[in-house]
Amino acid sequence: MLRATGVSKSFGGERVFDDLSVEVDSGEVLGVIGPSGVGKTTLLRTLALSLEPDAGTVALGGTDAWAAEEADRLALRRRVGMVFQEASLFDASVGRNVEYGLRVRSPWADRIAASLGLTGTPDAVRESLAVVGLTEKANQHADSLSGGEAQRVSFARALAYDPDVLLLDEPTSDLDPRNTAVIEEAIEEARARGIGVVVATHDMHQAERVADRVAVLLDDGITEVGPTEVIFENPSDERTRKFISGELVY
Amino acid sequence: MSVPIEPVAQLLSVALDSSVLLGGSGPLDSSVLLGGSGPLDSSVLLGGSGPLDLPFREGYVWSIIYVSLYVSLTAVTLSTLFSVPVAVLLGFAEFPGKGFVKSVINTGMGFPSVVVGLVVLFAVSNQGPLGALELIFTTEAMIMSQFVLATPPITAITLASVSGVDDGVRDAARALGGTRLDTALVVLKEARYGIATAILAGFGRAISEVGSVLIVGGNITSADGISKTRTLTTAIQLEARQGQYGTAMILGAVLVALVLTVNAVVVHFGDSGVTR
Repeated sequence: MLRATGVSKSFGGERVFDDLSVEVDSGEVLGVIGPSGVGKTTLLRTLALSLEPDAGTVALGGTDAWAAEEADRLALRRRVGMVFQEASLFDASVGRNVEYGLRVRSPWADRIAASLGLTGTPDAVRESLAVVGLTEKANQHADSLSGGEAQRVSFARALAYDPDVLLLDEPTSDLDPRNTAVIEEAIEEARARGIGVVVATHDMHQAERVADRVAVLLDDGITEVGPTEVIFENPSDERTRKFISGELVY
Repeated sequence: MSVPIEPVAQLLSVALDSSVLLGGSGPLDSSVLLGGSGPLDSSVLLGGSGPLDLPFREGYVWSIIYVSLYVSLTAVTLSTLFSVPVAVLLGFAEFPGKGFVKSVINTGMGFPSVVVGLVVLFAVSNQGPLGALELIFTTEAMIMSQFVLATPPITAITLASVSGVDDGVRDAARALGGTRLDTALVVLKEARYGIATAILAGFGRAISEVGSVLIVGGNITSADGISKTRTLTTAIQLEARQGQYGTAMILGAVLVALVLTVNAVVVHFGDSGVTR
């Protein structure tokens, strides 16, 4: 489905990662674990087609995004959803936030009608809010939500337009156990819908709970990728083993 | 540079002949100024039929309110249409010299209005580059000068507001499938209170402006006392110079009421759109 092959990325001459390859298939959850600051967010932005890699390819459904025309790349980008560590909701109602992804994909006439309040709440918005348990909050302003609720709305916002791939960047790092559980159930729902999910987290227990496969990202790139139980119980790479066991401290 | 004689003659007359202030015996017809029937004549009511006797010829105050609003609102509307896209482009773009461009815009907020008036006067004078358009001593020339004055504050404050929008909001708009235009629209919406403030600041600068509109507009009324290029500010200036302080205070109150009304309308519409 979404595949990065041999990608490298640097900022200001400082290398973030080099010659990195990773892929996620439909209906699969890939956990990307690693310490903070190792480049997980940069990797996810690269997978989201928001950042062009310095080298390598990022392909969705077999199409190399950065070799495609801009319009085609936009179409590819719109098949990917991303949830950031910070919810960053828009200054609008919850419903309008969740509707945003649908709206930008609509003709301008429909967008104007929606802005004027001439259209109702789309079913996809209600369904996405139901996944994160916030249907009753649709008409509330985003500012009135707690941090956990805001992050759940952020998840619903990315889920509403039914992406092929969903990228989650530390989605529960600031959340309490209850909101974390809701997000993890929503990840399960996305997988059930056939969406490929990439979860970047420094919470190894969460990766163990939700991921089908795990990629371990350390300083010099991905040290090992494999089924979750193999990575956590019998890693083949020595650095991976030390990181999992807590011997490799950052 | 050659300019039409009549408006200049009016200005000179006002400056040199105090006999035209209250009566009709001066070189100008009394209708040019305040009316020829005395300051308290009941025939010179505000609007002609109000409950309060005011020392104005019928229709005079309404006409200068109209000219003031027409000139200032038109100038601010045009300036907003120019300034907001420029500010958004500057806010999104990264290029060498961006700081210098910002400094130039900020400096523009302190432009002396009389200098702007002089420059516009030269531009629209018969010998100027826009002389063929015969704009001198017209409301269009006043709009030009107010456009120049309103543009720097609207651009600078809008730019500050746009730059202050959280990067996370831009990232979210883009990650959710937005194009550059979609992202810009989100940023504009997030910055709307700042932009409203920018427009109000521009309107405040325009409507309260005296120097440049006096220079390029000429402070003219028609023979029947109806304002052609006289605004509330230039009328206040004229009244005060003639010693008609009470009249000047009344016009000042009208001006303040106008500014308050416009501010209230903008704030109301800003608040009503919060949840959409």
